[in-house]
Amino acid sequence: MLIEQSAYTNRWRRVSPAAKGLFTAGAFIAVFAANSPLTAAIIASLVVALTVFGAGIAPSCYLRVATPALFFLALGSLSLAFSLDIGDGTPALKLTSGGLLKLAEVGTRSLGSLAALLFLVLTTPLIDLIALLRRLKVPALLLEIMVLCYRMLFVFSAAVHETLTAQSARLGYATPRLVIRSLGGLAANLTLQVWQRAHALHLAALARNNDGPLRFLEPSFAHSRRDCRIAGLAGAGLIVLAVSWA
Amino acid sequence: MNDALLELCQISYRYPDGSVGLDACSIAIQRGSRNVLIGANGSGKTTLFQHTNGLLRPQTGVVRYAGMAVDYSRAGLRALRSQVGMVFQNPDHQLFSASVQEDVSFGPLNLGLDMATVRQRVAAALQAVGMTEHADKAVHNLSFGQKKRVCIAGVLAMQPTLLILDEPMAGLDHAMQQELLAVLDQLHAAGITLLMATHDIDFAYRWAERIHLMAAGRCTASLNATDLGEHAEALAAVGLPLPQVITLHRALVERGILPANPPPRCTASLLTMLAEAKITQETTC
Repeated sequence: MLIEQSAYTNRWRRVSPAAKGLFTAGAFIAVFAANSPLTAAIIASLVVALTVFGAGIAPSCYLRVATPALFFLALGSLSLAFSLDIGDGTPALKLTSGGLLKLAEVGTRSLGSLAALLFLVLTTPLIDLIALLRRLKVPALLLEIMVLCYRMLFVFSAAVHETLTAQSARLGYATPRLVIRSLGGLAANLTLQVWQRAHALHLAALARNNDGPLRFLEPSFAHSRRDCRIAGLAGAGLIVLAVSWA
Repeated sequence: MNDALLELCQISYRYPDGSVGLDACSIAIQRGSRNVLIGANGSGKTTLFQHTNGLLRPQTGVVRYAGMAVDYSRAGLRALRSQVGMVFQNPDHQLFSASVQEDVSFGPLNLGLDMATVRQRVAAALQAVGMTEHADKAVHNLSFGQKKRVCIAGVLAMQPTLLILDEPMAGLDHAMQQELLAVLDQLHAAGITLLMATHDIDFAYRWAERIHLMAAGRCTASLNATDLGEHAEALAAVGLPLPQVITLHRALVERGILPANPPPRCTASLLTMLAEAKITQETTC
């Protein structure tokens, strides 16, 4: 929900998603082309700064969204740097040869990639991203699944919330035994709702003359060309910085 | 003169579980009229609606649109559904695109229209329901009433000649109901025939030109709203009382306070009549 809120309320909401996608691609290339961990870290910092100060995403919100990813990144990086040594019988953690360098390389690249991805998702609503993917000729079937999943996510979260409330109001979660029973009921109820809603959506699509593929209007953005030019230049700037920084 | 836009003649439909949806049901909707279908839950209103749009095919009987029997071929259904727009009761059952604008564009794009025309229609439909400023919003961020309006816009963008609304007032607060009614009045003024399901006899009497009563899968009576007061028995047969305004008006007529004609259709008209009667009394004194 935090991502969703930011995507709709940020300063760059009306900037063309193509431009934001272009800049994200530039940032990805730049962090992978960076010739040192320091350069990758600088690029990551620049992208974070742009997201926070440029698009106006609150730092607290940014941190909350990034924390789970940073946690996994930390775990993964540590496993790269250390290995389990059981040579003399007692297991011990040992720093691998060149482990720290590898940790720095992979860690900063991953941070840069994460920053680039967060820049895109925190500034662009998913509906605009899907429209962008449609323009990039991603297979229609995949996009239809994305559209329906995204829409249903909210419909079902509302259904789960309503069922949970109704169950709680009748002491459905009062004891551990009742919790298991109520969760079972919730799952059964949702299964039925999935089936019923799928049928209702099918009827609604038929009623509006649908005969197979789901077709939607592409959103239009007023300064798309200008935005893309600026984003292209910014992305290229990052790549140049990555390869030329000593 | 028979100017029926839509006719269902002796339609029967039984669901696979054996329950009766419609039982020799006949109904006619006149072109350009405002119609209400009123009946208890399970009386067959939704089943009837699904026949109007070709979503269900009658097991016996015939559905006629503009005088022609409905053709259930792919092309025939396409033609019917481009003329008969249906707004479902629950907006979450109808809206499946994430953005307002995208969802409204779904129907016109299915008609095979070009992008420029679709954009034009989407903008006009959103304007008609007062949702232009929400065009780029995500559907899940809208209120229930706004979702209903988007549903109507999605159907309007297909420019139907007959608009079917399944209990559109359900779940709406008073202000939203008034806003929705204003939208429907505009549509009617633009020449769209309206057919709406409701449980509210007072509203039906106030708003509709024709009132169709449903019970046990049958249309038991189709009445002119102006004559509703004379059909208390038909209403009682489907478990409905006379509209309150009729009962109240009759009581006031009996006491000699108000004239019998014209009968008021809503409380506001009754109050106006009372105010006028008071002025007349004062001037005669």
